Amino acid sequence: MKFGKRLKKQVEESLPEWRDKFLSYKDLKKLVRLTSAAQPCSRVEAEFVQMLNAEIDKFNAFFVEQEEDFIIRQRELQERIKRVMEDDGTGGSQPSEMEHAKEMSRIRKDIVNFHGEMVLLENYSSINYTGLAKILKKYDKRTGRVLRLPFIEKVLKQPFFTTDLVSEMVKECERTIELVLPVADRGQSEQGGKGELVAAEQSVFRNTIAALMTMQELRKGSSTYGHFSLPPLSLPDLQLPSPIPILQ
Amino acid sequence: MYAWKEMEAHSALPARKVNVEQLCTSGGSGVVSSSLPVLPTTVEEFPKLPDSQNILTGKQIRSDQLTSHYTPFVADSGNVQPLYPSPSGFSSDLDISSILPQERHTNSTPLVSQSLNEVCLPSAYSSYTGAFQVSTSNIPKDPTEVTWCPDSDQGILNCSDDGITGNNQIQSNSIVMSDDLNKQNEWWSEIMNEDWEELLNDKTVAESQPKVVYPAAQSSQNMSVHQLQTHQSVPCHSGEISAVTGPLSTATAAATKPRMRWTPELHECFVNAVNQLGGSEKATPKGVLKLMKVEGLTIYHVKSHLQKYRTARYRPDLSEGMSEKKITQSQEIPSLDLKTGIDLTEALRLQMEVQKQLHEQLEIQRNLQLRIEEQGKYLQMMFDKQCKTTMDKLHAPSTVEEPSNISSELTQSTAKIEFPDAGSNPIDSNKTQITEQIGNKRKMPDVEPSNHKDVDAVTDSPSSAAKCARVDDEEA
Repeated sequence: MKFGKRLKKQVEESLPEWRDKFLSYKDLKKLVRLTSAAQPCSRVEAEFVQMLNAEIDKFNAFFVEQEEDFIIRQRELQERIKRVMEDDGTGGSQPSEMEHAKEMSRIRKDIVNFHGEMVLLENYSSINYTGLAKILKKYDKRTGRVLRLPFIEKVLKQPFFTTDLVSEMVKECERTIELVLPVADRGQSEQGGKGELVAAEQSVFRNTIAALMTMQELRKGSSTYGHFSLPPLSLPDLQLPSPIPILQ
Repeated sequence: MYAWKEMEAHSALPARKVNVEQLCTSGGSGVVSSSLPVLPTTVEEFPKLPDSQNILTGKQIRSDQLTSHYTPFVADSGNVQPLYPSPSGFSSDLDISSILPQERHTNSTPLVSQSLNEVCLPSAYSSYTGAFQVSTSNIPKDPTEVTWCPDSDQGILNCSDDGITGNNQIQSNSIVMSDDLNKQNEWWSEIMNEDWEELLNDKTVAESQPKVVYPAAQSSQNMSVHQLQTHQSVPCHSGEISAVTGPLSTATAAATKPRMRWTPELHECFVNAVNQLGGSEKATPKGVLKLMKVEGLTIYHVKSHLQKYRTARYRPDLSEGMSEKKITQSQEIPSLDLKTGIDLTEALRLQMEVQKQLHEQLEIQRNLQLRIEEQGKYLQMMFDKQCKTTMDKLHAPSTVEEPSNISSELTQSTAKIEFPDAGSNPIDSNKTQITEQIGNKRKMPDVEPSNHKDVDAVTDSPSSAAKCARVDDEEA
């Protein structure tokens, strides 16, 4: 039940519109438990497979749609940055400078959150995959069937697991952020935007932290180490400041 | 797009095969991924299905499931999954080979030829699925109102805008209700005959459609399967798609159907088209579609994408997904206190650090998972092979030694997979181990006869066959 709990926690911390898109691990486990160990009939297996397929449909749909959104947003952000950079050259009159600074800070906030959301989508993919693998393992163990291997193979090819594009976008985003975030700009303390910043970021930030913690705990060490287990995760120590206690 | 339906008119299988190839090669300029339209957004515009309309068997089509995309997920190797946008319940009917024995037969025909079935209705596909739902609700009123022309903006998408709420409950298994299917078939063929003729402008095709689709209950499902599959496979080999979705999609195009996945390049093309037409407000889906000239892209794809695009441009707060979270500055936020004193930029940097780390870990994890599965697959193959050889050799007891060598080697390598948790960088060392082991295994067939010491090293098992079974057990 460890994974189930972790998953639940992760879901709770997720962005609201994501919450019902995760794996219904509990329900699947119930089904596995109901499966007779002695005689797994093909009908029950079919039912199980159907359930899994439904889940995968769900993941794929959500993932692909989010991906599409990200593509659009990425381009829009790039446009905004371009515009702001261009504005830079035109005249140094005060009002436009203010505007410029405001827009810059908005862009920074948006792009960091954008990055965060993409990473969270990757996490979504990963955690659902893990859940699927686990439930399949349980099924195989219980029924003595060999459903896991071929099934997982197909899962690997599913859109929701093929996260290369998102990964690429994340990296590109990171590069852009390097350009956009001032290196060590202590002078600018922008009080104005903070309210929004805090509120907006809490969700992404909190979610990200939760994801990392979940990952760490999931990888701490398995009671059933097998050929398919991942090694324990060792995260470098994060110097997290005071906001973190609240997030937890 | 209508070229495809003409090919469909020649119903010989081999011919279809050729057609796909032609399409693929001719699709060089196409930028769209072969996938189906992302119907979630379009589907949302469809009215909720009344319960009486058990179109695709009882629980299978639920309005909630409609938002889930059709997944061509092949559970059984023989069966082909439908790409139907309807709930997986539907697709799972095709999975359940025991329930639909006929299904299997049809499904086992090569995907390519099946795909071609769909090819004929690339534009109709969306309207097909859309109409499926729309028509059901419209049936009580006036079926003929459903316009199927995919090119017109007045399409299914203009049906009542009841959103279909996403409610991703898992549907418990529903047995195919043949009664429902029959009803559905009748009603369906009515619609089909009327509208599809119009739609496809090709009587041969239209006529053949109902036949193809509804000779039997199961076949209706086949049709949608075919439709869905083809729609995806056909334009799949356009350069950009392969580049983006990677080798996976091309390699597995036959097995799992890629859905409509947008790429940055495709989006760029889209934006250019929109700009040419005077901006996102002025541009119409039809116009954009024409300008883009991307094979396999349907107006529904474009329409939903345009919607998203407009939202992103003019209401960036909405599309950011954070709007609900944004609290106006006048409101007091308890946690705000914690962030006072921390620079905005610093806070952003911190957030970035955390996010970057998560991303990195996810990447590593994903690579590991892929490798593990790859190795597992290889192991499985070896075990199966060994079992087979063992079985053979048991009949010829003179060379019993060899199999146990193999199995012992395998067991040894398997044991190595258990990752050590010591080490400064367990992940890296594991990676190297895995690569080593993969290398080792590949050498194994050559090494087997000479490795007698390994037999001693490994615990004896009563027989190789038993070991084979045991290891298999572990695998599972």
